[in-house]
Order: sequence, then C-alpha cells, then structure tokens
Amino acid sequence: MSKPESPDPQQAADPSRRQWLRGGLAAGSAALIPLVNSSCSTPPAPAAVSALGAASESVLAAVADRLLPADALGPAASALGAVTYINRSLLEWNQRDLPLLQNGLQALDEAARRRHGRGFVALDAEQQDALLMALEDSTVAEFPEGSTWFNRVHRLVLEGLFSDPWYGGNRDFGGWDLIGYPGAVLASTADMQRLGQRLAPLHTSAYGSEHDGH
Amino acid sequence: MAIELPETDVVVIGLGASGGVAVLPLARAGLRVIGLEAGTWMDPGRDYRADEVHNNVRALVTTGGKAGSEVPTFRTAVDQVARQQARHPMMNAVGGTSIHYHAQSWRLNPWDFRVRSATLERYGAAYLPAGSTVEDWPLGYDELEPYYDHVEYAVGVSGKAGNLRGTLDPAGNVFEGPRQREYPMPPLRSCDYLDHMLASARAIGLHPYRGPAAINSEPYEGRPGCAFHGYCDRGGCHIRAKSSTDVTTIPKALATGNLSVVDHANVRRIVTDSDGRAVGVRYFRHGEEYLQPARAVLLGTYTYENIRLLLLSRSQGHPDGIGNNRGQLGRHYFGHWDAQAGVSVAALFPRDLNIWYGAIAQGVMVDDWADDNFDHGGLGFIGGATLHAYTEKHPIAAAGMNTFGRVPRRWGSQWKQFIAENAGRWASAYLQTNTFPYANTWCDLDPDVRDPHGDPVLRITSGPKVNEPRAAAHAASKMIEWFRAAGAIEVVGGQGGTGPVLSTHAHGGTRMGLDPSTSVTDAFGFVHDCPNLGVLGGSVMGTAGARNPTQTLQALAWRTADKLVEKLRSA
Repeated sequence: MSKPESPDPQQAADPSRRQWLRGGLAAGSAALIPLVNSSCSTPPAPAAVSALGAASESVLAAVADRLLPADALGPAASALGAVTYINRSLLEWNQRDLPLLQNGLQALDEAARRRHGRGFVALDAEQQDALLMALEDSTVAEFPEGSTWFNRVHRLVLEGLFSDPWYGGNRDFGGWDLIGYPGAVLASTADMQRLGQRLAPLHTSAYGSEHDGH
Repeated sequence: MAIELPETDVVVIGLGASGGVAVLPLARAGLRVIGLEAGTWMDPGRDYRADEVHNNVRALVTTGGKAGSEVPTFRTAVDQVARQQARHPMMNAVGGTSIHYHAQSWRLNPWDFRVRSATLERYGAAYLPAGSTVEDWPLGYDELEPYYDHVEYAVGVSGKAGNLRGTLDPAGNVFEGPRQREYPMPPLRSCDYLDHMLASARAIGLHPYRGPAAINSEPYEGRPGCAFHGYCDRGGCHIRAKSSTDVTTIPKALATGNLSVVDHANVRRIVTDSDGRAVGVRYFRHGEEYLQPARAVLLGTYTYENIRLLLLSRSQGHPDGIGNNRGQLGRHYFGHWDAQAGVSVAALFPRDLNIWYGAIAQGVMVDDWADDNFDHGGLGFIGGATLHAYTEKHPIAAAGMNTFGRVPRRWGSQWKQFIAENAGRWASAYLQTNTFPYANTWCDLDPDVRDPHGDPVLRITSGPKVNEPRAAAHAASKMIEWFRAAGAIEVVGGQGGTGPVLSTHAHGGTRMGLDPSTSVTDAFGFVHDCPNLGVLGGSVMGTAGARNPTQTLQALAWRTADKLVEKLRSA
C-alpha cells in the first residue's frame, strides 16, 4: 500500500472530521479552495405543497414502503424521506415525470379497487405486493405500461433513499447507513479503502452539517 | 448585420480537451490567438460537488446550454426515424469535457495506427471486418510519440512506463509502444482492492499495470495531488487535481499574453472566400452577431459539432459543406459504444471492498486481450478490449446493483437485506473495445430536428457490426476469469454490451488520410479542400483504440497546431 499523499491521514482519524465539510480541510493544498459553497449552505425550503396531491402521494408512500419495508434493518422508504425527495424533485428539476407518476398512481389505485374493492393504501401487504409484481411484469390489463412506471418509481425511490440528505431523502443518513456508505467527504485516505471491513459512518453531507439530520 | 472584428492570426473554435491544448503551442509561437468558447469558466467551489444527484442524476456539470440543445438524433437503420437522445455530456465550458471525464490518459497502441496493413500481414484479407472502411492512419505511433510526450508533461499525467525506449518494465504496460521518457508523475495511489486485483491478474499469467491518468498523483505545477473523494465521474475536480485544460494548458497559453478567451461565443458558421479558403467565423454572443476574421481557423468542438458545423458552413466553393466536396464528411464515424462495444462485467465478492472513494482512473488495467496482443487465428475477429478494474462507487448506483440472481426481485425485505450486505461488496469492470469505421455508419444533418437557431442537429445512422461485439464478448469472458481468480462469488455481464447508443467516445467523421476520396482532413488534420482550416478532436481519428481517446486527440491537436505555426510563418 502506497503512502497517501493528501490529505494527512491523521486528519481522517480525527473524530472531528465532520469539521472538514463545515470549515475546510486543514491539511494539504486542498485547503486553498472553499469546500462548501456558501450559496449552497442555506437548505432548500421544505416543500409546502405536494406535487402529486395528498391522495396520490399516500399511494406513492405505500408503494415505496413495499419496495423498502420497515424491518429489523431499519425504517421503511417513506420514513427515510424517499417520498419527500420525490415530491421535491417533481416540483423542481423532475417535472417531466409528473404525468407518468400521476397516471400510474391513479391506475394502480383503480386496479386495487377493481380487484379488492378498496384503494391501494388499504390493501394488506400481500395484496399490495401481488399488484406491484403484476405491474412490474406489465400484466395488469388496465395498465399496459406498468413496467415503465414501476421502473421509474423504483429508480426514484432509490434516489430518495441513497442521495445526499440535502435533497430531503436519506433521512438521518438512514439510507447510507443501511448500505454502509460512510458519507460524503472531500478527501479519502488509504485507510478508507481497506478491504474487508465495514467503515464506520461519518454522517456527512456534501452541503455541511445543517443537513446531516441532527 | 454582423459586427466585424479586427483580424487575428488564428481562431480556435472550442476550448475543450483538444482546442484547449492547441492554443498553447500557438500562443507560445507568438501567434495572436482568439479562443471562442460556447461556455464559460467553471468555479470549482460552486460547480463541483461530492454529490451523485448533482453530477450523475441531474448531470448538472456535464450537460445543458448550447450542447444540450444540439444533441444528435440516432437510428440503427435507414428506414427508421432518428430520435434525439435525452442528453449527452458534450460540455460547454472553458476546459470542456476534460473537466468531467474520467481522465484515463492513454497513448494508443502502435497497432491502432496501422490496423489494415498489420491485419493483412499477419492474418490475410479475410480477417478485415466485413463492411469496414478502416485504413491505416496517415501517421504512425512514432510520429505522434513526441506529441504524446508534450501532452503528458504540459497537462500532467501520472503513470508508469512499460516500454522505455524499448526496455520493458512489467510494472507498466508491456504492450505499449516505446516512450522516450517516464511519466512526469508516478501512478495514482493504489488501494487494497486494486492491489488484490493486480495480484490476481498476475497469478493467472496476465500483465496488469496501474493505468495512466491525467490526474495529479502528487503536487504538480502548483496543483495538488488527487484527494480520492469519489466524485470524479461527471464532476469536475474541487481541488484542481484533474488535469483538465482549464487548469493546465489554457492558463499557460493565457500567460503568454497571446491568447484571448471569448466565452459565451456560439459559433454558427465558418466563413470561406471564393477560393474556398477559411477567412473567419461568425458567432453570436449575448444576442449580437460577430464576424471574426482570421488567417487560419482550428475547429476543436466535440466530434458531433465538428461535423455539424462543417456541414452547415455551405458556400459557393463548398456547396455541401466544408470538406465535403467528395462526400466524405460524416463518413467513417464510429464510437466505442455505438458498436455495441462498451461492455460492463460485474462481480460480487464475499467481503466489503471499500471502493466508495477513489476515482475511476484509480484502476488496474490488463491489455493482454486488446489490440493485436494475442493470436487471433481462428477467433473470427480482430482487436479486442482492455480490462479495467477501478474504484469510485456512488451510493445510488451501488444500491441499484445487479442482484446476481440471489434474491427473487429487486425490492422488498429480502432485497433490502441483500443490498444491506452487498452494496459495498460488488465491483464492475469496464471494457473498451478496438472499434473501426463501417460503410453502414455515418452522420448527416437531421431532416426534422433543429436547434433553437433553426439549424438542423446531426443525425447518426449506425448499422449492425459483427467484429466488435465478438471482440468484446471474448474480452468479457477473460474479465470473468479475472474476477473469478480474484475470489468473486458471482460474476455477470459481457452479453453483447449496451447495444447501439449515442457514443460518448465519438470518433471519425472528418477522418485524416492521404487520399481525399476516402478522408476529409490531411495527415496533419487540415481539410483537404480548405487547407487553412484544421480540425481537432476525435473526429479526425481513423480507428478507436481499446481505450479512452482524449490524450491521443490532444497529441494530434498539438501536432496540428505546430504545423499551423509552420504554415503561417512560411505564408
């Protein structure tokens, strides 16, 4: 293993390493540039409105919570902020997905009512899973583009679970903790690239400490 | 009416990977150079973030602006309507795509320059891929070697020589052509995973080495060494350790006092006179139209825009576009991926790899199954692919992993448990295939889709290939062996690549050649029918090596610029 050139490995071992992202990296010439853009250090205002509307958003939350259910490993997708992330994305940079998502959520709810006499949210987990599997395989007759919709929702839920908490998902770094991603850093040491050990969580956002969920 | 500006010696269109290099020898030679760039200067503190959504999901560093409005359309057969691709990282900025590329910085293998004659010599005519228009380059590796060297030292490339003036060193790539001196910096820092992959490759008789990178491995010319934060892919470098041209050759050229950078310059046409010679360019900037006269023009935009701008620059002397008097403009276009040759192989290991951090260029390479480094007798293809094991894994991509058939579906509790255990235990390898031009693959102007100025975008027609998918599948089987040797418990991939898509390694379309009936530019990159117009970038390349093209197109750009200095001095 070659010796790391930058930054000083002592810096990585420093328990106050979260300070890096707030104030700057003390060691090495990396300190010459700002580490967190000041114009980004104000968090985006929480979305006051729902892009999908309350009813569809609750169906989306129910879907997301079947994709990543609550269990011994941790909370479900919506508790981890996945729906918050998706809502914010639909209001901001991802508006083009809104019709697809909206149509799919309505179709899903209607398919639930037709099959079981109640909406998707009110189904039990087994019924929800069966319907989602049929959608994933595009075998729901009323919703032939089911797999397109399913894949897009699946992808957005993944983004909401595992993106930087700055965007409203990955609440309290719960998504990153689940998969063992330690956190956003501006420099890594050779020790952070060792085989065979799970790294301790850093709980660091690229956007500073206000967004680390604490 | 366009505002006519005072004449300059050279206008360079595009200050990216190629134009950003060409300005340096021009400015050092004392020529007055104006660099027209559609984007502007990036601000590392503001624009570059350790954020997968910013870089990869939203592609905010790499797309948008002018480039975002002129993405080519694509089809795989002439009876299809070509569709515009959603986006393509043809970044507009001072530094261009060299800002966000992986910065794997290669010399091509000497074989890449003479594929046709080498294949005829070793295997016979039956081995030339059917339908291919491949021909030898008008220059060989030895002629480009000094320019590779200039680039390695001027931009800053880290690596280990494998062939120093004919002496082989197994710590480097023993298959590379001879180089006159070492890299200016040692390879990037290694890590456990890469050390393990390197040892595993050696154990099965391969010749692995640490891949070269245009990233500082140690402080170089006032810029720091890499910090390995893991957001190099489609992001810029927050500490300027990546040797993009905006922090290397362009500042050096500016320091001479001979280069003026004009940002936000949207070039619409290259203007020619009644003799067909280039006399300047027309561009828009903040709503005003300008005419910039020049003694010579170098066109250094992305491959697609190079071809498009030449096609659009029609005049009496060039009724079908500049360089198209023999119908060659847009022909011999090809890209690594569009030939189904971009192959990924993924492997699952029984332990945490800790490759979250690092950089894609922090890698281990194997060239044993690329180029003509092995006997192709009986295999039914020529060329092959390099195998690249690397670091830098972003959390969304990691969790979106292949489940290797180990859970019934990619959601639900079982899946959750699977990714909790394995998202940090898988790696992918990246295989780049030697790729050749074909008669069934070319670019022209789209009949329907236009940019906001009303000009048609480029249309790509890409027909089927046989050689490249075979070569890629062969290399993928070798990658699977390597992963298995390294202890992977599951390996998938190599089943034919991504299929034809818009390539990010776009080559050809203004091919260099000695014969104007099969090429657009001459042996130095100047347009046959417009000799004071030089073309820079991947569009002049006649073959794609089994590796990233940037350092080669930078070496070619330097050589074209040197030739232009000679031409203007003798004029």
